[in-house]
Amino acid sequence: MAQLEIVNVSKSFGKTDVLRNVNLDISSGEFVVFVGPSGCGKSTLLRMISGLEEIGSGHMRLDGKAMNSVDPARRGVAMVFQSYALYPHMTAFENMAFSLKIAKQSKGVIREKVEKAANILRLEHLLERRPGELSGGQKQRVAIGRAIVREPKVFLFDEPLSNLDTELRVQMRAELIQLHAKLKTTMIYVTHDQVEAMTLADKMVVMNGGVIQQCGRPLDLYDDPDNEFVAGFVGSPRMNFMKAEVISTSKDSIVIGGVGGEGRFEIPFTGFDPAIRKIKLGIRTEHVGFVNGQPEQVSLPAKVAFVEELGDVSHIHTDLASGERLVIRSTGQRYAGSGDCTAVLDTKGLMIFDEAGQRIRPTR
Amino acid sequence: MTIEAAAEVPATRSIALTISPWAVLKWVVAICVAIVAVFPIWWMINVVFSEPGTPVSLNPRLYPTSLGAGFDKIMMIMRETDYLKAYYVSIAYSLLTIVGVLLIGSMAAFEFALFNFPGKRLMFAVVMLSLMVPTAVTIIPTYLLTADLGWLNTMQGLVVPGLASAFGLFMLIQFMKTLPREMLEAARLDGASHFQLYRYIALPLSKNALVTLAILTFMKTWGNFIWPLIVAPNPELYTVGQVVGLFNSPYSHQTVDVVMTANLLAALPPLVFFLIFQRKIVEGIAMSGSKG
Amino acid sequence: MIAKKHMPHYMMVLPFMLLFAVFFLYPIASGFFYSFHDWNATTTTRFVGLDNYTRIIGSRDFKKAMWNLATYIVITVPLGILVAFCLALLVDSFKGTWSNIFRSAFFMPVVLPAFLAATVWRWIYTPNFGLLNMVLGWFGLPSLNFLNDTGSMLYALIAVDVWVSAGFNMVIILAGLKNIPTDVYEAARLDGASPLQQVRYVTVPMLYPVLFFVTTYGVISALQVFDVPWLLTGSSFASYGGRSNALMFPVMDMMGRGFGSLKFGQASAYGFILTAIIVLFTAAMFVFRKKGYDQ
Ligand SMILES: Nc1ncnc2c1ncn2[C@@H]1O[C@H](COP(=O)(O)OP(=O)(O)O)[C@@H](O)[C@H]1O
Ligand SMILES: [Mg+2]
Repeated sequence: MAQLEIVNVSKSFGKTDVLRNVNLDISSGEFVVFVGPSGCGKSTLLRMISGLEEIGSGHMRLDGKAMNSVDPARRGVAMVFQSYALYPHMTAFENMAFSLKIAKQSKGVIREKVEKAANILRLEHLLERRPGELSGGQKQRVAIGRAIVREPKVFLFDEPLSNLDTELRVQMRAELIQLHAKLKTTMIYVTHDQVEAMTLADKMVVMNGGVIQQCGRPLDLYDDPDNEFVAGFVGSPRMNFMKAEVISTSKDSIVIGGVGGEGRFEIPFTGFDPAIRKIKLGIRTEHVGFVNGQPEQVSLPAKVAFVEELGDVSHIHTDLASGERLVIRSTGQRYAGSGDCTAVLDTKGLMIFDEAGQRIRPTR
Repeated sequence: MTIEAAAEVPATRSIALTISPWAVLKWVVAICVAIVAVFPIWWMINVVFSEPGTPVSLNPRLYPTSLGAGFDKIMMIMRETDYLKAYYVSIAYSLLTIVGVLLIGSMAAFEFALFNFPGKRLMFAVVMLSLMVPTAVTIIPTYLLTADLGWLNTMQGLVVPGLASAFGLFMLIQFMKTLPREMLEAARLDGASHFQLYRYIALPLSKNALVTLAILTFMKTWGNFIWPLIVAPNPELYTVGQVVGLFNSPYSHQTVDVVMTANLLAALPPLVFFLIFQRKIVEGIAMSGSKG
Repeated sequence: MIAKKHMPHYMMVLPFMLLFAVFFLYPIASGFFYSFHDWNATTTTRFVGLDNYTRIIGSRDFKKAMWNLATYIVITVPLGILVAFCLALLVDSFKGTWSNIFRSAFFMPVVLPAFLAATVWRWIYTPNFGLLNMVLGWFGLPSLNFLNDTGSMLYALIAVDVWVSAGFNMVIILAGLKNIPTDVYEAARLDGASPLQQVRYVTVPMLYPVLFFVTTYGVISALQVFDVPWLLTGSSFASYGGRSNALMFPVMDMMGRGFGSLKFGQASAYGFILTAIIVLFTAAMFVFRKKGYDQ
């Protein structure tokens, strides 16, 4: 059963609609990541779950109870902010103890709970310091500790690692995964970084323009995106997109033309709607190879623009005759330096989208 | 900063012993001005701490000559006049005003700086406009109102009308606006009520601004001459300012050194405060100036 | 519902707003009412229309007070700010401790309550054995009666005033100086500007907002000058303004009419005349500033 149900939630600030018709079920113990470009409404959704932002329209239920008019402090959620939002005039201990003190818990209970949290986060030796005397990573751990102490039903994280440097970020990510394994509490995590989302999420919710584009397991989203936005947003380097036209359709295949300029070939596809003419092709970089000689497969002539050589892998950025950019990912060979080449597309990796960007899937 | 750099470039470039005329002039002027600024206060101290009755030709009072005589005068004033009582009144007047201004000012500033509610903009605009209205317009009607309330010659008559300080509110709002919103939200999630947000987060974090405002309020109240003069004319409630006024009045029969002793005693609290809290005072004034 | 949600906000601003309404808004409104009435605080009020206003404007004391005020402002504000500006540059040119010491010294007079500053200076100005006359004596000059000679009284007041206010303005200007980025001066120096030219072409223009504030604030306070001339002259409602009213100022005149002659209606009207002057002046300053920016 879903622990947190979000039903038809919308929100607008003045005249701008920030969230439109959001529906989402989150099960107990799940690690859910909201991901999407900046400004797409992730924080707003998270803040509505926390109660800091009023729910515009729609319903939210936690453990079956309507949350719409419940005070933030009574929802059983705890939040970790990007800026840490620690109280600068209190020590780490007092920061973590604050909610318990407000709740009038006894000194003994407070000490016990704070020490337990500090133990989990390896903060014992820092408890008497104030936020000003802590490093970024330590501050973030205190902020997480402050959340743990409250023993919430749901943890909310709003880009908690964005203020840390790359190395620390990777380390904290691993710690968060361990923390989740230990606590087994539901966690909702907001980030604009799809790599972070992929590594952390049990369930990944991709958002854009205030609308949930798709949600599911990270690899499902990677392998089988619902639309052009998700296909492009998930995965790095980005998926390649090319405009194309459907020339003819048959039962098991279609012929497409105008790919990257002149390219024309037949690909297997069951049940294509013959009414659709203009389409977009998407193909991930690992499904594009290159050859120097004459090809036998589906191939396009391309001109190399520049190359990113990372050692184990090279990303070869090429321009097609149509002016579109095609990135080739090469793991075996290194780029030899020639200007012109032939890109080879693996038709198994081809995805077809309609003009509006919706995925067209073969019927079975 | 740069003027200094400009003035000192020649000095540092040439051999260390050559002193540029600019630098000499600078020091001379600075010292002269400092003497002009401080001397009247210094002179006051010297008059107090010297044998009474010595003619100026024998003792021009450029330095203290008799500590004992000074203390005798202070003891005499304390014993024979109501100075001590005036001290109590002035201190009570100042402390009550400070507590009141800080309390109601910080409560209102907390709301104005950090929250939105219907009517806020209007209230804020009216209060800020009042900063432009001179005291001269309100003092007489406020006096008449205080009289109607039956508060003439009472402590509340002295204190209460001055508590809604628009200046103090403005200063605290400017400060509280810089408190991060996320911190207050974190506290809300931690279960703090609206009042607890104020009590445990906003108030402790505004300590600096509150201390500065407290000092400025003290200076203003201690030096307030006109309001006690009209609202508490009863000798029972004379403030230090009024007592000093009596000593100084052209019809007073006191000698100059007794008058100066009274003056020095009145100047002491603000001077001591200044020596302790210099930085806060200067910063507070600079802040109110550059923001206005 | 909405009222309930916002209740905590209103509860927190209530004490301030209540006191503000009672001790600021109501007095202004009632003062406006009194200003059209004959009212001596005991008898019933009698409506007199604009009588209070015309009487004040027609009176000799008012004209004298206004004339004194105009002369006083024209001298004391520019002089005070010039002194404060020079002091700020001077303090700024010292480093570390010395800068702090001089700043504190120059600021010291501000700390003194105005009533004390006035009385100390009255003794300094005393004829024959006053400090100033002693100094004059060293140079073989005759003793002067600064506070009783109509030719020198105003200047005596201005000296005290500059002494008191220079430190205050200096601190504000100093804060403004600190906000000017050093690289602007460095650029000017690379362009070959002398120290004086740097002051003229960098410091003054960049301090414009601060100087504007100091000037406006200075004039508004000068318009309300009361404590110091009150204490330099008779300092009682029976006797103030000094010899032939040479130190008579509007607020003093107003207070005298109110608490001296118990004409509270007239005194209220006086307050509104003063407010009108202050509002007009402030508006003029802002128009002036806007023009300054437009150029
Ligand atoms: N309090 C607010 N008032 C008006 N607009 C807001 C407010 N909060 C957020 N927005 C707008 O809503 C949109 C979504 O914001 P947010 O949820 O913070 O995005 P994200 O966290 O995905 O970057 C943005 O365009 C932002 O400008
Ligand atoms: Mg965000």
